[in-house]
Amino acid sequence: MLQGVNTIVGAAPAPDLDAQLMLRVRDGDEHSFGILLEKHRNPVIHFVYRMVQDRAVAEELSQEVFLRVYRSRGTYEPTARFTTWLFRIATHLALNWLRDGRKERGHQRLDAPMKTEKDGDIPGREVPDRKPSAEQRMVYETRLQEIREAIALLPEKQRAAVLMHKYEEMDYSQISNVLECSESAVKSLLFRAYEALRARLAHMDTGGAR
Amino acid sequence: MTCPLQTEQTDLLLDYSAGRLPFRGMDALAEHMKTCRDCASFLREQKAVWDALDLWDPGPVSLDFNRRLWQRIDAAAAVPWYTSLADWFRFDNWKPMIPLTAAILVIAAGFVLDHPGARNPASGISVREADQVEQTLDDIQLLNQLDAVIPASAPDDKRGASKPM
Repeated sequence: MLQGVNTIVGAAPAPDLDAQLMLRVRDGDEHSFGILLEKHRNPVIHFVYRMVQDRAVAEELSQEVFLRVYRSRGTYEPTARFTTWLFRIATHLALNWLRDGRKERGHQRLDAPMKTEKDGDIPGREVPDRKPSAEQRMVYETRLQEIREAIALLPEKQRAAVLMHKYEEMDYSQISNVLECSESAVKSLLFRAYEALRARLAHMDTGGAR
Repeated sequence: MTCPLQTEQTDLLLDYSAGRLPFRGMDALAEHMKTCRDCASFLREQKAVWDALDLWDPGPVSLDFNRRLWQRIDAAAAVPWYTSLADWFRFDNWKPMIPLTAAILVIAAGFVLDHPGARNPASGISVREADQVEQTLDDIQLLNQLDAVIPASAPDDKRGASKPM
């Protein structure tokens, strides 16, 4: 039965439209780069943000990710999926930043206000409920803080693996390509990471957040 | 069905929890869960983690993100080639090479100290030693010349020596 399960999981890869767009960028089509940017901007920024847990740094590093993609357009070859390449760059930048210890320069609080283009400040955090009570908000903030700490306590590679598995819905093969390790290593990373998260967060039975 | 926990196939349980198993796999595991307390407990805890992680909304992205990126792209394109070249030679770019270079130098120094005979002998000769060698060669040449002269005069010397007797 388990063999059957594994067989079904391995499906034929879909044609990589992003790679085709990137090939157009290589040929000088800036509009295609705009499409790629629009499509992957939020996932990249969110991934980097969850890695470094600093909003300003996440955007700065994400800018660097797309800048590198654009600069490399001339030598781009679609040897792997575009998202694999993109997240490999993002992961390297995030890991380098974490290893450089720049995170010590001060975390921005999650509830810190963010500037918008309209010169207005919007709350950095929004509680899912439209009009949360003060108590609900406090409970939410406490849970969020626990989640952030639980993720931050994971070793960097485990953290990257979990974030790609959970939020980017990548399969083991793609995560292994991003992290440049074997699939079994990824499974091991994920097992240990989720084991740690279960120990820290299992008490937080939210009854289905979404 | 074999227990995924016993066969160390926890990835199946993770995929099940994430709803990423195909229907047949989901069905088989759901059946297994009815009889396996360990797997059921694993899944309950994993689901709690999964739901907790869903709470973490990273929030909105700056509205001027694209504009700032295009500005950087334009600025990079406007940079003259010699500035890019100078940037390439910046110390920061070479910083990662320092440990490697130091390691290579240490290894090379160790090799040279360990193999003194491998050095070029000519490189170790001082001026004085060179003068001595030259002097020796001159002496040898002089002796050769003397050898060429002495055989002719030697019989006379012998005769002269016997005269007083």
